[in-house]
Amino acid sequence: MAVTMEELLEYLKVDQGVTEVEAGTELFSSGLLDSVAMMGIIGFIEEKGRFDVRPADVTLENFDTVARIVAYVAANA
Amino acid sequence: MNAGEASVYRLLADNLPARAGKVALVDAGTTVREVSYAELDAMAGRVAAWLQAQGVASGERVIVHLVKGIDEVAAMFGTWRAGAVVVNVNHQWTPAQLAHVARDSGAKAAILRRGAMRALGDLPETVIVRLVQGGEEGLPEGAEAWDTLPDAMGDEVAVEPGDLAMLIYTSGSTGMPKGVMLTHRNIRLGAEAVTQYLRLGEDDRLLSVLPYSFDAGLNQLTTMLWTGGTVVHQGVVMAAEVVRAARDHGVTGIAGVPPLWNMIVRYLADAPMALPALRRVTNTGGKIGPDVLDMLPVVFPGVDICLMYGLTEAFRSTWLHPSKFAAKKGAIGQQIPHAQVFAIRADGGIAGPGEEGELVHAGPLVSLGYWEKPEMTAARIRPCPALRHIIGEAPVVWSGDLVRMDAEGDLWFVARMDDMIKAMGFRISPTEVEDALAESGIVAEVVAYGADDPAMGQRVEVAVRLLPGGNEAALMAHVRQRMPAYMQPRRVTVWDGAMPRTSSGKLDRQSVIRTVST
Repeated sequence: MAVTMEELLEYLKVDQGVTEVEAGTELFSSGLLDSVAMMGIIGFIEEKGRFDVRPADVTLENFDTVARIVAYVAANA
Repeated sequence: MNAGEASVYRLLADNLPARAGKVALVDAGTTVREVSYAELDAMAGRVAAWLQAQGVASGERVIVHLVKGIDEVAAMFGTWRAGAVVVNVNHQWTPAQLAHVARDSGAKAAILRRGAMRALGDLPETVIVRLVQGGEEGLPEGAEAWDTLPDAMGDEVAVEPGDLAMLIYTSGSTGMPKGVMLTHRNIRLGAEAVTQYLRLGEDDRLLSVLPYSFDAGLNQLTTMLWTGGTVVHQGVVMAAEVVRAARDHGVTGIAGVPPLWNMIVRYLADAPMALPALRRVTNTGGKIGPDVLDMLPVVFPGVDICLMYGLTEAFRSTWLHPSKFAAKKGAIGQQIPHAQVFAIRADGGIAGPGEEGELVHAGPLVSLGYWEKPEMTAARIRPCPALRHIIGEAPVVWSGDLVRMDAEGDLWFVARMDDMIKAMGFRISPTEVEDALAESGIVAEVVAYGADDPAMGQRVEVAVRLLPGGNEAALMAHVRQRMPAYMQPRRVTVWDGAMPRTSSGKLDRQSVIRTVST
């Protein structure tokens, strides 16, 4: 199962209270989100995508923007 | 020279004759940035000149609210060069928390990260001087841009070693955050003490993940400046990024808090990586669970593992020598240089081997107490009658932490005294319950606490986050096999996702307990 950009943005808005985010906004390298938010995002995509995220996959390449997260889920779910 | 008798700014400046061109700081990340000691000092000079031009005088408070990095360090040392007081507010604190600190500290100036611009409107009007990281574009009225600061060296203002250097805001279990007052002497002696016992040198490169608004995080920076080493900043708290930065930048030491080690150890167990330059890892800010403690030497072979303990009110307090790690996993060891640490029994006497007591800390690392809260200070930092024959009426910090002393004089953390659970006449340490649950191997995070119980007085309850594949039935089977009846949790709440953290990255126990108790 994939996760769409809209679903992820909605999740960030409702569950993490982050509103001013676009597909390319740097979430973690900018300091916008912390490690607790990261665990939340991982939980969300694991549930939506029905797969387990390996600890080794949790990198900026895969998780720093909404676009990258969506691409990562598409490639792994 | 006595290490304590100079300013914090001198920690940086005294490197200049010998190490002007040496790399002082590295910002790791997708684009690596580094500065030499001379460059860092020039940046600090610009900040000092700006503060002085705006009329910020010696002793006035300056808020530094920046993402971990070179600019943050330059802002702090510029403030110190100007003789002013640094108030470092974690970049993840909300505009409301920032405004509280600005009001409480009476700060006159604030240096803010770009993303905090929306907080400008919430700042009290007493913050008359505002500097924002980055360029001029899009800046609101009354704020100045970091990038266009004129090239100037502000005057170095002389300070006394006992003068206030920094306020570290800590959130207790109750009330709004309060500012712990550290002097120049506190910070400098803390740098010397930790340098000495960790045997740090100028060839060391420490990875800085913990915030500079936290005593242990700040101490990494001050030890490297004290010895002329290098700090590598990694602000992204992802295990993979932390480990990669450690490898790519030849890091010799990593400091962490339990939730960070939890993440890193599980990551390295899944994807091992050799870190040949690494000499030591250090923990502070709480006890690491026994399963993660067991894995530390496996994922970090040949690396010294140093368990430390510190009270913000006394900067840093104890450590366990790495040679004792294997035999005493989880102990906090003995006093560090410049600290006198004792345990005081409930009857007021000094605890000896085999006894328990409240940890108290005396000596020149003891802070001035809480900013503008004399009653709270007097309650926490006051003379200790049992120590009168040793230190007279000198104030000691009463930690509120219950510790046990073993036969060799090493201390073991038992519990926060307020957190002790009293069930059916037994006194139970939440830590003991948490350790027993973690030994099941299926628990990622756990918080044990006491809940009122009409029959038992209190009963043990726990909140747990399970590892993938773990379930409550398996956990309860482990509990029944492993724990005496009075200690077994009567209620288990399974927590979804990560448990909340404090701004320094420690587990926010009180917030977890509040959530599951309602």
